[in-house]
Amino acid sequence: MDTIIIDGLSFALPLFIIAIGGIYSEKSGITNLALEGFQGFGAFIGALSAVLMANASGTDIQNLFYVALLFSMIGGMGFSIIHAVLCIKFKADQVISGVVINILALALTTFLTAQINSFVFGTASDKFQLGVSDRFTIEGLANIPVIGAVFTNVYPFEVIIIVIALFAWYLLYKTKFGMRLRASGENPHSVDAAGVDVAKTRFSAVLISGLLSGLGGMCFAYSISANFSSNIYMGYGFLAIAALIFGNWRILPTLAACLLFGFAKSGGAFIAQSMALPSSFTDLFMILPYVLTLLLLIFFSKSNRAPRALGEIYDKGKR
Amino acid sequence: MSDYIVEMKHITKRFPGIVANDNVSIGIKKGEIFALLGENGAGKSTLMSMLGGMYEPDEGDIYIRGEKVQISSPNHAAKLNIGMVHQHFKLVSDYTITENIILGVEPVKKLAGIFPYVDIRSANRKIEELSKSFGLEVDPTKKISDLTVSMQQRVEILKVLYREADILIFDEPTAVLTPQEIDFLLGIIEGLRNGGKTIILITHKLEEIKKVADRCAVLNKGKLIDVLDVKETSTRKMAQLMVGREVNLKSDKNPAAFKEEVLKVEHLNVKNEDGFEVVKDVSFTIKSGEIFAIAGVADNGQVEIADAIAGLTKVSGGEILLNGKDITNESIRKRTEAGISYIPEDRQSFGLVLDFDLSTNLALKQYYREPFAKKGILNKEEFEQFGSSLIDKYDIRSGQGIKTQVRSMSGGNQQKTIIGREIELQSSLMIFVQPTRGVDIGAIENIHKMMIKERDQGRAILLVSLELDEIMNVADTIGVIYNGQLQKIASSESLTTNEVGEYMMGAKHE
Repeated sequence: MDTIIIDGLSFALPLFIIAIGGIYSEKSGITNLALEGFQGFGAFIGALSAVLMANASGTDIQNLFYVALLFSMIGGMGFSIIHAVLCIKFKADQVISGVVINILALALTTFLTAQINSFVFGTASDKFQLGVSDRFTIEGLANIPVIGAVFTNVYPFEVIIIVIALFAWYLLYKTKFGMRLRASGENPHSVDAAGVDVAKTRFSAVLISGLLSGLGGMCFAYSISANFSSNIYMGYGFLAIAALIFGNWRILPTLAACLLFGFAKSGGAFIAQSMALPSSFTDLFMILPYVLTLLLLIFFSKSNRAPRALGEIYDKGKR
Repeated sequence: MSDYIVEMKHITKRFPGIVANDNVSIGIKKGEIFALLGENGAGKSTLMSMLGGMYEPDEGDIYIRGEKVQISSPNHAAKLNIGMVHQHFKLVSDYTITENIILGVEPVKKLAGIFPYVDIRSANRKIEELSKSFGLEVDPTKKISDLTVSMQQRVEILKVLYREADILIFDEPTAVLTPQEIDFLLGIIEGLRNGGKTIILITHKLEEIKKVADRCAVLNKGKLIDVLDVKETSTRKMAQLMVGREVNLKSDKNPAAFKEEVLKVEHLNVKNEDGFEVVKDVSFTIKSGEIFAIAGVADNGQVEIADAIAGLTKVSGGEILLNGKDITNESIRKRTEAGISYIPEDRQSFGLVLDFDLSTNLALKQYYREPFAKKGILNKEEFEQFGSSLIDKYDIRSGQGIKTQVRSMSGGNQQKTIIGREIELQSSLMIFVQPTRGVDIGAIENIHKMMIKERDQGRAILLVSLELDEIMNVADTIGVIYNGQLQKIASSESLTTNEVGEYMMGAKHE
């Protein structure tokens, strides 16, 4: 039971922060299928900077965890500029842009990882070894039955994510920036008429989605993957999109969706393990979150409502 | 220093294929209601959009309070205290009234001295005060999606007032309002003027100008025709200047010659989405060569009757017979083919595909059959030929001929497009729902002429209108509806406007 909660949380929270990134972008009116690419590229930049610094200074890569997080956010944000420029400046189709960015991220980071490994470190490897981040347990609280598991073996990034998520909620719903951002996704004409630059607002929203996705990707690399390789492109970005849609583009319900996915995943793994099934069956249980996605689609598609101007290219002249 | 608060000198603005404003010069005095009169497409809105910062003129200068300015954005216009109340509301339907009003100029407070946040509470209070002081009472915490059209317009006005505008531009403000709401709005506008604000009123409705405006500029096809003192000018003269020719508001028509029965509606009942009966036991007939008008106050079931006959709404009881054939449960296409033409109330949603070009829209009811399509393959040439011939026949004006996107056309020309298309069907029954809503005088005259011409050619015509004048003017037979029931059916000669009005209010029973 405890492992289900512990593992579930450590999977759900990075997913959650990527989904928040998606919410920012989509609430501003830009469809974002590029979350997958953002999180992968962000993780690549984060991992690369950690590996390079560890190599240069001889520090243990564990101690560079926070540096890696910082760089992953910068990397994700930098990469998201492509989506922003394509969709906003050049008014490209947002779906196509997203899909292309995902393919680009996979190809580019796989290639660069192998090249950097052979040229800089002289090893023939397609991954950057990172290891698993240290965890901590809050002694008193961990002894509470059931919920104690929430405070046991916690990754530091889980705390960081919670703090950032709180701030993201505040920014989106309490500040004027957030108000304008949400209005841009509902009726950009009203924003324009109010004298606010729709393009700028949407641009910042996409960059925020890149920043948060990069962070989420890095957390996956430092936990379940323990390295950076092309395995980071497991569809987490798409799962995050599913979560935000089930969450009706709102932060708290999206958290619930992410937790559901997280527990489905850890629960699946737990069942497979406890039944001592051969590894091929473990893979079968791993599809649980995705089957769940399909089922939820049936129930949630009707009642959910996307931002009204989502995916609509804003053209001032249109009446 | 001139005594004008706004001066526009030699303004020219061109769009692809059209000169929207051609060397227009106007001056507006502080504290007056200045009306801009002109038909649809005369360039009124374009001229004012340059004042509101949406466009910049190609030639000419703008002076505000004596100073030459280049208004580059709506923001800049707001800084000059110019505010525009748009015809098409620019509101976020998910937001509250307050949120919509403060968007872009949000009052910000700081939590714990660090975290800035939008101070909705004080904004709510401020807007409540503001709305009361101008007689525009609203509940600032209500969402836009819960408001009626006229309430939404109040929000647009408050938006401008909140930004402390003292030059207010109203773009066709009454196009979407009922007569009572129009009176109320005109009262508000006068109140604003008396409070020292300068008002520019864009409209094509002469009565409104006569009622509130001090001076009035007439535009025609992008050119300034004249600036008039409203008190000293007759409505007739204004109409003539606007259209560029003599206008006859009273239609001449030959006496009706009724022939065989075309439409027979028997004991019709219709329920709305919520299951309420909105049409109750309605029976009437329309003969060939007859214009049958349903008069009534809005939302008394008249639109539902038209929709039920056209097949847009399901019938819950009764029968509809067209040329003796029962069509009560037929599909819309079957009805069209059996001989029904339909000009819907909401032309943009139900009458046209706004993003299609003109020729496609004109062929919208016939595209699937020969000669427009052969074995399911569309014949583009046929579309174009048909389109071109209708453009000439019905004088549909557009920027790029048959290739024009219908969205970019003026309301009056959109309506001509629909009416032309429906007449071409040669149906035995034509249904007109509010055909002259939001179109200008010249076009109204035209539409009435077309209806009478079709009647004289032996069609049966059902007219649903909220304009009593229109009904008295063109109808042969009038059915007055109140609360879903026909109160009275009689020939138009036997009824006076007052009598019809009384039946409409449900005050008079047979």
